[in-house]
Amino acid sequence: MSQPRSSYALGTGLFIVLGFAALAYLATQTSSIANVHQGDTYALEARFANIGQLKERAPVKIAGVRIGQVQSIALIPGSDVADVKLAIDRKYQDIPRDSVAAVFTSGLLGDQYIGIEYGTAKQALEPGGTIALTKPAQQLEEMLGKFFGAGGVADNLGGTYTVSASFTNVGALSPGAPVKMAGVPIGVVQSVRVDPLKLDAKVILAIDKRYDHIPDDSAAAVFTSGLIGTQYVAIQPGGSPDMLVQGDEMILTQSAMQLEDLIGKFLVNGAPGEKPATGAGKTGSRQH
Amino acid sequence: MTVDPADTHTDEALVQIRGLTTVLGGRAVFDALDLDIPRGRVTAIMGASGTGKTTLLKHITGHMRADAGKILVDGHDVGALSREELYALREGIGYLFQNSALLTDYDVFENVAFPLRQHTRLPEVLIRNVVLMKLQAVGLRGAARLMPSELSGGMARRVALARAIVFDPGLILYDEPFVGLDPVALNQILRLISTLNRTLGITSVLVAHEWAAVSRIADNVALLATGKVVAQGSPQAIAADGSPWTRQFFGGEADGPVPFQYPARDFAAELGFAGVAP
Amino acid sequence: MSRQRPASSGLVAGTLTQIGACGLFLLTLLAGIPRSGRYLRETIRQIWFVGAMSLTIIMVCGLFVGMVLMLQLYHVLSIFGGTSAGGMVVALSVYRELGPVVTALLFAGRAGTSITAEIGLMRATDQIAAMEMMAVDPIAYVATPRFLAGVIAMPLLCCVFCGLAIFGGHLVGVTWLGIDNGTFWSNMTAQVDLRTDIVNGVLLKSLAFGAVVTLIAVYQGFATAATSEGVARATTRTVVASSIAILALDFVLTAFLM
Repeated sequence: MSQPRSSYALGTGLFIVLGFAALAYLATQTSSIANVHQGDTYALEARFANIGQLKERAPVKIAGVRIGQVQSIALIPGSDVADVKLAIDRKYQDIPRDSVAAVFTSGLLGDQYIGIEYGTAKQALEPGGTIALTKPAQQLEEMLGKFFGAGGVADNLGGTYTVSASFTNVGALSPGAPVKMAGVPIGVVQSVRVDPLKLDAKVILAIDKRYDHIPDDSAAAVFTSGLIGTQYVAIQPGGSPDMLVQGDEMILTQSAMQLEDLIGKFLVNGAPGEKPATGAGKTGSRQH
Repeated sequence: MTVDPADTHTDEALVQIRGLTTVLGGRAVFDALDLDIPRGRVTAIMGASGTGKTTLLKHITGHMRADAGKILVDGHDVGALSREELYALREGIGYLFQNSALLTDYDVFENVAFPLRQHTRLPEVLIRNVVLMKLQAVGLRGAARLMPSELSGGMARRVALARAIVFDPGLILYDEPFVGLDPVALNQILRLISTLNRTLGITSVLVAHEWAAVSRIADNVALLATGKVVAQGSPQAIAADGSPWTRQFFGGEADGPVPFQYPARDFAAELGFAGVAP
Repeated sequence: MSRQRPASSGLVAGTLTQIGACGLFLLTLLAGIPRSGRYLRETIRQIWFVGAMSLTIIMVCGLFVGMVLMLQLYHVLSIFGGTSAGGMVVALSVYRELGPVVTALLFAGRAGTSITAEIGLMRATDQIAAMEMMAVDPIAYVATPRFLAGVIAMPLLCCVFCGLAIFGGHLVGVTWLGIDNGTFWSNMTAQVDLRTDIVNGVLLKSLAFGAVVTLIAVYQGFATAATSEGVARATTRTVVASSIAILALDFVLTAFLM
């Protein structure tokens, strides 16, 4: 019996070794551990106005090549600047002092990483040094238009007043959607109805009483948060000395745009006919 | 437990059962049963199927607990022992299962060596000698490396017997040792039981149906029926007893004190002859 | 020794009784661990039987799961031009869900049933009773070593399964369908996290599944009605109960670990 017993022990030992070898393989070759360079690293620092969705251990790249990773992300006390510590592989020593660190996104929906664009200075950054020149994360909204903002529906604790606006197309706008100015929610869409005579969409906006200094020639536009976000009404202030009051109608409106139209406006400068509008619409109307 | 095999105080009972009452599945298997098993003798427990003969053996080893009553094995109250004490007691009891119950994973040698390996740290040489000795005693030394599946029923039972005696127990319980054996194998087992008893003085308890076999080796026969010992004595005395119980059992009558019919409702009523039933 | 079953009680009550009995049995098993220290050899032998003997099926299935997953993903991802993420998606889905769950289901079918049948047969042929008569504690000698073996073997089997699945994914994705080898690995290593995916996903889940499957298997073996028909029924119950337990536990674990 001692014979079969020892063969069980041997086989079992082999099985356990195989199992642990598989575990070691999974852990070191297929997980992010594989990205942790065993070699020495040195620290660099960079400050960003906005880091977007950047996370710790995100890669740091030069010309698309990984040279290190984000060590830590912290807010500098008493300011609104993010302090990002980078661990750079020792192999990459000579990063010029005037290089620019920027937060990039891999593709439209990918993760964010830090890209370093080489400068021309002769001196290299010292370990522990700070990259002075940085570009914050580009928000998708900013890329498509400066007036896009984000945020929830405003609370209307101070009461509201209502104004109306007519659109030829409201897209998927629905009651309860936020009304924003400069990206900040100032009210909600109260109702969306079709005007039986003019055959366009009549939208009632409930705006917080705190914001009672909106010029009456301000424009209302239906925008989308991000590429696939929900729609909201953005108000762009005009220059009139008179202010909007309860029951007014906003004359200048810009209807919801299809993504195709939007791209078309930028690329081909061919927008479908619309009511007089501001913002992106101007680019199109100037061509006529 | 240390049962001295040389002790031949035949009057003193090694196992004393007093007022044993057990209810299984709503049926009273034992109803205030009293039985003494004398030391150094072969006691046969007989009875119709289902009278709880095997159950009685399991009570003696503490495998099953009684609802009432007491079982003293060499002075120890089995029902009151802790797990460790019970296991210590069992080391001094050999038990031969009806179906041999050899461990199918191990060969004959390892089956016999199993209790030794579990309870002792003897050197391999000693284990080997003890096991071969026991196998020689049952005549199967040559089969040491066979697996249980390769054994005939009689051989398996002899291996199980070798395993049961590997610790030289003072008491061996045989659960139906003769069932399903051909005459040759039956004689071999009979000889073994009798040899173990005569030469080593091992107290033997035998559960069996085969009157011919039992009458050849038993010193003492107890007949169980309806949860009680209904007759007890030497085989000759039992056979000559003439009570309805022994007449039915040994005379092979279908009906008697042990009814042919399993207890049931009135037959006519069950068939639907309502007028006949009260 | 619970031979009597609740005859006509409802399905819910019956299930609850089973779960309760199983839980109590777990306590018995755990209590048996100190006593089974002396049966280390038996535990090693059982790791061989439940672990090493399941390797073939685990390896073959792991390979095919990885291959078929990659094939499916390739067609879906090519719609978005994202085939390079294939390796990453294979790795994540295998580590987080498929690896532990499929390994556990296979383990229940291969090792669980054989544990139940073996113990059931030992009961039917009085081997368990014989052990008790020989003053050997069947819990410490039979139940606990098998339980420990299952708990030890499952994570190892799961690691092997995942490794083979990645290999299968690589084979189909890179060798046959032409995904770039570098992208395959870099996307994977960028997204797979050691703690959440490998430790929580592969190891913790498979440890829990191993414990549950072997607990059910050993319990059903001991609760077998000591007949050949009883053994057959107990084996079926092991597979059914294990499968349900694995998937239910998977949901709970995922909810807590993610």
